[in-house]
Amino acid sequence: MTWDIFVALLAATVLAGTPLLYATMGELITERSGVLNLGVEGMMIMGAFFAFFVQFKTGNPWLATLAAGVGAACLGLLHGVVCLIFQGNQTVSGLALTIFGVGLSDYLGAPFIGEKTVGFQPFDVPLLSDIPVLGPVFFQHDPLVYLSYVLPWAVMWFFRRTSLGLALCASGESPDAVQAAGLDPVRMRWLGIAAGAFFVGVGGAYLSLCATHMWTHNLTAGKGWIAVALVIFAFWRPRRAMLGAYLFGGIMAFQLRLQALGTSIPSSLMMMLPYALTILALLFSSARGKGRNAPAALGENISPGA
Amino acid sequence: MEQMRPSSTDRGAKRAPLIRLENISKSYGPVKANRNISLEIRSGEILALLGENGAGKSTLMSILSGKSRQDSGSIFVDGELTSFRSPRDALAAGIGMVYQHFMLVEAMTVTQNLMLGQAHGILNPSAMRERVLELAARYGFEINPDAMISDLSMGERQRVEILKLLYRDCRVLILDEPTAVLTPPEIHQLFVALRRMAADGKALVFISHKMKEVLDLATEISILRRGEIVDHFLRSEVPGERELAERMIGRQMETLVEQTPAEKGEVLLELSHASCGMASDLTCSLRRGEVLAVVGVAGNGQRELVEMVTGGARPDSVKDSVRILGRNWNDFMRARMGRKSMVYIPEDRKGLATCPSLDLLDNFLLTNRNGFQNFGFLDRRHSATVTTGIMEEYQVVADGLHATAGSLSGGNLQKMVLGREFFREPSLIVAENPTQGLDIGAMEEVWRRILEARDHAGVLLVTSDLHEAMTLADTFAVMYRGRFIDVFPRSDVARVESIGLMMAGIPFDAKEAKEAVHEA
Repeated sequence: MTWDIFVALLAATVLAGTPLLYATMGELITERSGVLNLGVEGMMIMGAFFAFFVQFKTGNPWLATLAAGVGAACLGLLHGVVCLIFQGNQTVSGLALTIFGVGLSDYLGAPFIGEKTVGFQPFDVPLLSDIPVLGPVFFQHDPLVYLSYVLPWAVMWFFRRTSLGLALCASGESPDAVQAAGLDPVRMRWLGIAAGAFFVGVGGAYLSLCATHMWTHNLTAGKGWIAVALVIFAFWRPRRAMLGAYLFGGIMAFQLRLQALGTSIPSSLMMMLPYALTILALLFSSARGKGRNAPAALGENISPGA
Repeated sequence: MEQMRPSSTDRGAKRAPLIRLENISKSYGPVKANRNISLEIRSGEILALLGENGAGKSTLMSILSGKSRQDSGSIFVDGELTSFRSPRDALAAGIGMVYQHFMLVEAMTVTQNLMLGQAHGILNPSAMRERVLELAARYGFEINPDAMISDLSMGERQRVEILKLLYRDCRVLILDEPTAVLTPPEIHQLFVALRRMAADGKALVFISHKMKEVLDLATEISILRRGEIVDHFLRSEVPGERELAERMIGRQMETLVEQTPAEKGEVLLELSHASCGMASDLTCSLRRGEVLAVVGVAGNGQRELVEMVTGGARPDSVKDSVRILGRNWNDFMRARMGRKSMVYIPEDRKGLATCPSLDLLDNFLLTNRNGFQNFGFLDRRHSATVTTGIMEEYQVVADGLHATAGSLSGGNLQKMVLGREFFREPSLIVAENPTQGLDIGAMEEVWRRILEARDHAGVLLVTSDLHEAMTLADTFAVMYRGRFIDVFPRSDVARVESIGLMMAGIPFDAKEAKEAVHEA
């Protein structure tokens, strides 16, 4: 019996970790290109809204996911306009983007609160889902979860084995070197912002299409901020980001279950757990890593050529 | 000042130029960085561009490498009019640049850096690796293609930069102050490789303000002054350094600063087995009236030594391993401000020594608040008088007292810093590469001031410019990998002559030196 609970908890971990995984991977791509975008929370919740809205109108979850990604990417491009064209402060612009996104989603979503939608439905992967433990934990979910399994490896392959990925990472390390190599680092950063925001948006789509199947107030509840922290926790490495996402997903799933079991610990304390862990994780990774693996030019704008 | 166009000098029957610049001009605001520059670059030649700082060398080269665009004038490549909109265009035309500050991605490997912008689509690192090795072998470079750039020495990084250009089949290689960060043996290796490239038919442009190197390497020399080419001649036309220097500064050169020993006083700085981070087990002492020159290639622990002595970092063991002005490190650092104490002249003039956005008066007050306060308020009128006095005494050319430090040229700012620090009549002066990037005029002035200061002070001079050390030092300490390889007085001629080897980590061998003398 307890074994079943454990397996169910692991399965819930994967579910809770998936939106974090998308958002973390998105921010990781953006930061590797040298741009710090603190608008993750805003882009994510807007992604969730776009997904809900398109799903509500068309009934097509794939179209809804695409809309979430593209919509979030458009928001991200606002950040690009501020930082890449007007050399604005990346921190301030990102914070503004979060405030803007959260506010806008509240405003646009107000008429839909409590409105239900179908979204994605889980399906079992043939054969794989029959494996004991691994089956129920990993292979009885919805398609967005399955896609997320490939994402870290795809991103890693992109960084290491494609010229575009190499140039993108180099733009985060040394824009001057990229320019000297005859490439345009600003263009790479546009790409990093847009592609990153796309995945952040997909993470948001997961929330409204797979997790809640409805629209409600404050759907992201700080998951975007956890993603920002997870990028640091992951030392900007895709596979470590996956580990981090599931670790935090696990904590979230665990505290929910504990609440459901009716412990005597106040629920507000329990709900704080993931965020408290975020602080701890940051403390731990900064003490050990000393920010050594951060892209060297992260957060620095590229000044227009003299 | 008569202007000599390259075309007016004797050139004889030579190959057609790869690149021809015609009447290139470029201004930044009111400053004319380049004025009507015409230049020809030929394959197989090594052209040295010689000029004082701010003469417009870098501007010219950034135009040629596509980084910035000329206001007027034309560039011809193989006789065809071309315009470069970006470095990519210049690279496509076969023009590559090795920048003074390397354009490498430190967190990536040698191979990855070579692939950047040169491989397309899906990468094949192992094939690239082979090509790197092949190319390196052809020019006699030793390089590990899998090494991270951050783990490489400056010399190795430079080789990667050059390999990048060779890999692209660049026909014109521009090198901006390539020897600034190298040890003497590395410089030798570089020159061998460059000569081999010229023999291969590449055209090389070599920017420098070190005359000896220009004479060593160049086949043609162009001299830039205030944005204009004022002279152009073949290497064979100038017999020696003196003649070259005369042409370079455009006036009869005053005799270089002459060092005569000053009277030695009490011990001011004493290190006994002092360690701090990378710098370890340092022992030496410095007396009043003495210049102790710490020489070595940058990055061998000089930074740590300076930080330890100036209070930026604690020595590993405080207890008496460092004694400054007769006190131990802790006691001294607690009460070091004020007159007749220690002053620090950092290498980083716009950042550490001054606040670039503050004016000269505020910058003066940064380190001289004592004596300029009334009941805790700054006495700006008094300090303005004093600052003006310093500017006059040190001949600082600036737009008045309220010009920002950042608007001053390197030489003027350094004179201002010297004036400000010497105002307190220090007993101990720590100077770090005090003439780096200065033109000859300013350099002489700084050297003269430092030698004068020996009347009241001892000078710890940390420099990577051997010429500077030779000019000023009473005592040498050669630093390698955090340690003093040797400490010896100026009078020890045999040791002084092998400083170059010591800088590369080879200790002095008295016996060998004696034999060498006998053979000679």
